[in-house]
Amino acid sequence: MKKKLLFIVSLLMVATLVLTACGGATEEPAVEEPAAVVEEVVEEEAEAEEEAMAEKTVLNVWSFTNEIRTMAIAFEARYPDVDVVYTMIPMTDGEYQTKIKAAIGTADVPDVVALEAAFVKEWVEADFLADLNELLPLADELKTFPAVVQVGTHDGIAKGFSYQSTPGGFFYRRSIATECFGTDDPAAVQALVADMDKFVEAAATIKECSGGDYYMIGTPGAMFNPFLGNRAQPWIVDDTLVIDPMIEAYVDFAKVMRDNEYESQATQWSEGWFAGMSDTLVDADGVSKKIFSYFLPTWGLPYVLLPNSGDTGGDWGLIDGPLAYQWGGTWVGAMADSPNLEVAKDFIAFVALDEENLTNWATGVYTNEYLAAIDPEVPEDQAQGPGDFVSSQVVVEKITSTFDGSELYEWLGGINNYNAFGEAAKKVNGTLMTGSDDAIQRALQDPLNSYLLGDITKAEMWQIWFDSVRNEFPDLLIPDAPAD
Amino acid sequence: MRFKIKKDHYGYFFIAPFVIGFLVFGLYPIYNTFQLSFTDTTLMSRTAEFVGMKNYTRLFADDFFMKAVKNTWLLWILNFIPQIGIAMLLSVWFTSTRLRIKGVGAWRAIFYLPNLLMPAAVARLYFGFFDFYGPVNQLLVQTGVIPEAMHFLQEVVFARGLVVFIQWWMWFGQTIIIVMAGMTAIPIHLYEAAMVDGATSLQMFMRITLPLLKPILIYIFVTSLVGGMQMFDIPYMLTDGRGSPLSSIMTNSLQMYMKFASSKGHIGAASSVGVLVFIMTTIFALGIFYFLRERN
Repeated sequence: MKKKLLFIVSLLMVATLVLTACGGATEEPAVEEPAAVVEEVVEEEAEAEEEAMAEKTVLNVWSFTNEIRTMAIAFEARYPDVDVVYTMIPMTDGEYQTKIKAAIGTADVPDVVALEAAFVKEWVEADFLADLNELLPLADELKTFPAVVQVGTHDGIAKGFSYQSTPGGFFYRRSIATECFGTDDPAAVQALVADMDKFVEAAATIKECSGGDYYMIGTPGAMFNPFLGNRAQPWIVDDTLVIDPMIEAYVDFAKVMRDNEYESQATQWSEGWFAGMSDTLVDADGVSKKIFSYFLPTWGLPYVLLPNSGDTGGDWGLIDGPLAYQWGGTWVGAMADSPNLEVAKDFIAFVALDEENLTNWATGVYTNEYLAAIDPEVPEDQAQGPGDFVSSQVVVEKITSTFDGSELYEWLGGINNYNAFGEAAKKVNGTLMTGSDDAIQRALQDPLNSYLLGDITKAEMWQIWFDSVRNEFPDLLIPDAPAD
Repeated sequence: MRFKIKKDHYGYFFIAPFVIGFLVFGLYPIYNTFQLSFTDTTLMSRTAEFVGMKNYTRLFADDFFMKAVKNTWLLWILNFIPQIGIAMLLSVWFTSTRLRIKGVGAWRAIFYLPNLLMPAAVARLYFGFFDFYGPVNQLLVQTGVIPEAMHFLQEVVFARGLVVFIQWWMWFGQTIIIVMAGMTAIPIHLYEAAMVDGATSLQMFMRITLPLLKPILIYIFVTSLVGGMQMFDIPYMLTDGRGSPLSSIMTNSLQMYMKFASSKGHIGAASSVGVLVFIMTTIFALGIFYFLRERN
């Protein structure tokens, strides 16, 4: 009898191991070192501040980068009776998204949350964010790009605003353009890649002119956003998965690029992809290779291309490219459960809908000295350099000319990036994003890669992708997969 | 009347902290998981409804779930056999009175080291090695082993093999420590007597070591089974977090996480995977206990 009891207890323990570990795995974030350090510093500082200024209203702001912290410090200067407690949680592997979902309904729920393009719609479509319609007049006044407002709105209720607009551009290497096309003039190059057919022709020219040592693009994955941005309908219509013809066009395009060796096969964000930016890409044979162009949005210039470009500065051009698109962006929303909802709204209005703040943000006013004057404990790298593309057309029109002759202007061989993106931002379609986009799109990448390698047929690719989407979306109606 | 505690019952007080902890953090989560698996609960909605067996019937509507079960077993068995095999072999050598290997402690520590690394770091390390433009491709192409660079991590056999290897590499040191502890606990005079009787090394291993090691082996077997059925971090970090290529390293835990992490956070549907893994693991753990029980 005792033995039996022991046996049952040990079984239960095994069972416990199974089920508790299931939950545990998701809560243990694989925190990147530097991010963790930042978080600690921020929290320590927050504690110190709390002691000193107990009577202030405390506003808890959560984000996945320390960008908004710069504006939070500026906010404290304008609202001295508010103490912003800023917490940064990295989103490398979805830790941030999990953390805010887990905070709903608990005492830890933040007042203000930053929401990235990949998951902002999930939140806007759910009912945890506060109604921000009263801020809409400010957006009208600042002529916020319509797409930015659309993304933050669901069923006529605005729940999030953004300080950025993130239209995409096409960055190309001037030296390669001169060598292969005989010109590096932006207008001439734009004419050569004006639509997708011309783009493929240009890719063939690049390959021919270099004997296969130059690639048109790093990876067709870079073209996914442009194709997505030109669909006629979103992924989900009436709870049913919809495959727009643009998606089929993308698959065919990727296959053409791969089969003809027009792309380097270096996946996005891999070392090879970055090496192409600084002209240090070397293939397995030890042969030097070059990548002609990169599809990157506004933030891609200061945060991705510029810091990884090595000594290729001045050799880059920026044009619209074959398709208008947008990529990424950060929206700010308030939690409906927030006890400080009015202050949270003030914060959002300041961050996303304030002319002075947006101007300061985009023109490099927020230097270390500026921030240290408000908060002496600000970290060294908190300053915001000039160039981020803001969401207000009023501010964009006002400051565009200030970028003539700037460092970025020289780096782009005499192109005003603000001017170039200003036109593209007006063409962006904000109605295509839905809360399920990220998971649906990520599910396509793996079967697509296998199809590009020739391991599976196109019909198999669709089937695997549909099964994978069905696994993640129990409520979604999924049609039969296309036959080819 | 004064309240008196019977001395016989002290034991209950001593085990109370564990029992309470177990009920709150162990039994309740299990109950809660079962309950959730019959609802359509998501993290992103305030209400949930009872949906009966719908989550379960959906799991069997296509072969996605069975594929994950198959992958999980395949990856676990392929790493468990060499893990226990090599751990046994090394343990026999390390504890052998004939071989008298020097620096056993140092070796054991070295073999254990990979276990101290963060799985995430290990996975990223291997991911970098086998990149299309990575060092392995450079080496193999330039020495003429393969004609041109390969997408290693997009090959089903290779990706699975790498997961198995990493799992083995990270865990065999741990197994050695446990097996050695078991072996050193076996009274030395048994071996001495066997040697006097002229037994060979193999005979001593089969007739003395293995039978006396059985409790330890059951322990290793069951803990490894439980761990293997929940294999998550290496397959998650090594490729795209979805079991690429072609879902070949998508384990049950990975599938559960995908349901949990997908836009709305379908924890109801994810729980149904957890429950089935729980039942499966329990049945097989019971089986191990049953077949390896003391027969007397």
